[in-house]
Amino acid sequence: MTPILIWRWPTRNGLPPLPAIASVVTVLVAMWLTASLVEVDLARLIGSLGKMAAFAGNMFVMPDWKYLPQLLGKMLETIEMTFLATAIALLVSLPLGLLAARNATPHLIVYRLVRDLLSLMRAMPELVWALVFVSAVGLGPLPGVMALAFVTVGFMGKFFAETIEVVDQKQVEGVTAHGAGWFQVRMFGMLPQALPDFVGTVMYILDHNLRAATVLGLVGAGGIGYDLVMSMRLFQYDRLLPIAVSIYLVVTLLDRLSDQLRSRIIHGAQAKI
Amino acid sequence: MKLKQTTPPSSALPPKPRNLFPVWLAALLALLWLIVHDLEISFETLAYGVADMGEYFSRYSKPDFSELSRYLELMKVTLATALWGTVFALVVAFFLAPLAARNLAPHPLAYRAAREILNFMRAMPDLLLALIFVAALGLGPLPGALALGVHTAGFLGKFFAESLERVDKGVYEGVTSTGANFPQIVMYAGWPSILREALGYVLYIMDRNVRMASVLGMVGAGGIGLALHDTLRMFNYGQSAALIIVILVTILVIDYASAWLRRRLS
Repeated sequence: MTPILIWRWPTRNGLPPLPAIASVVTVLVAMWLTASLVEVDLARLIGSLGKMAAFAGNMFVMPDWKYLPQLLGKMLETIEMTFLATAIALLVSLPLGLLAARNATPHLIVYRLVRDLLSLMRAMPELVWALVFVSAVGLGPLPGVMALAFVTVGFMGKFFAETIEVVDQKQVEGVTAHGAGWFQVRMFGMLPQALPDFVGTVMYILDHNLRAATVLGLVGAGGIGYDLVMSMRLFQYDRLLPIAVSIYLVVTLLDRLSDQLRSRIIHGAQAKI
Repeated sequence: MKLKQTTPPSSALPPKPRNLFPVWLAALLALLWLIVHDLEISFETLAYGVADMGEYFSRYSKPDFSELSRYLELMKVTLATALWGTVFALVVAFFLAPLAARNLAPHPLAYRAAREILNFMRAMPDLLLALIFVAALGLGPLPGALALGVHTAGFLGKFFAESLERVDKGVYEGVTSTGANFPQIVMYAGWPSILREALGYVLYIMDRNVRMASVLGMVGAGGIGLALHDTLRMFNYGQSAALIIVILVTILVIDYASAWLRRRLS
């Protein structure tokens, strides 16, 4: 048996379809035009390999064990900021999500306004807001929590609204038929249906916030980021190594946890059908 | 006619389900209280902060657009960085994702290795990667593009792999039964089945990369971030406001464009 070696596109003339060619060509032309802006320089890239290797070599040091308690404290602070910001964002985005869902909003104007507000809130990265809030309330974890909560309200509110918009209308009608009021319809007709998806969203946001919280320290907004940047700038590789490893461990742990929880929720939802 | 009245035997009633929600809520609130206490967030500071906030934000009320052409130039660099990072991520993910899909991987070891590589790339924050690449390559947008590429390759690869795992088994079996080898299965059964989904993910990542590219400048990786960082540090509120507006408008335009494209895709 000989393996098939002919590469042929499953189209009439055996060539790639036109939209595929067009999009690839567009991207390539855009990259060619912007190459000078990004300062792409192969010689520089290859030349930097030696430096990368040297950097990797520098990482093979004995970690600074005396630094460990401080590291754990900073890591705990990072995790605490993540939780607090997510909790605040959850509290704020639940009502906002309800107002921004087309089928739950009291009025279409409210819907439009809240939608636009949410997209404004999530437009800028946490780091920019952290910079602004640090200038407003001073250094420390408080501006970090504010920046995280502010941006993730924008994301969570949008996700919640989209989840509420796809709930089964029959159950809403059923609750309405019992004479439920405006709030009761939303509380007992819509929210229970959207709840499994909400949990998935919250896990996703928790994950996102943890990643963001690890770098917020860069602008003085608390967490491990400050130590990370300082050890990098001062070439303290014996500190950089444990910091990088601890970030990797914590992020991976939460990543796995949220993956597992999400797949359990999806399977649970399938079992019911 | 008289209805016979029956009372259900009390023992037949199922026990009322225990509602543990208040317990969980109380535990959560206690945890949050502990966190607030531990982070030493005082509500007094917050209250003063909020009171000052109005005055503080009023300083941004006069955006100074005198250097608009320079800002637009910087924004162009930022967008180019995001584009190069996204394409880099796409290329890496294109090769790694089929190996990281459980039902496609030629060998369990290849699956594990690809998954771990993707996990590692995802776990490293892009700002940390940018710091490392800036140290190796020098200042400029290229290290930024590389950092974005490496970090988001982890995300794209994971998304693609999960999509490939969700494809109906029959599709793969059909192509396998013709004697196709691994690359052929991937090219003829894998990618065509998830094309729309994959394009949606690429748009999402492009969106995300534009946002991130606008802050990478803070660590010296080119683009508009450095300018914003400098003007904020020098308390130059007018120019900061102008920069924030430029970033905001660009991101909103990209946001709407990608939402429009995604609607057309589905």
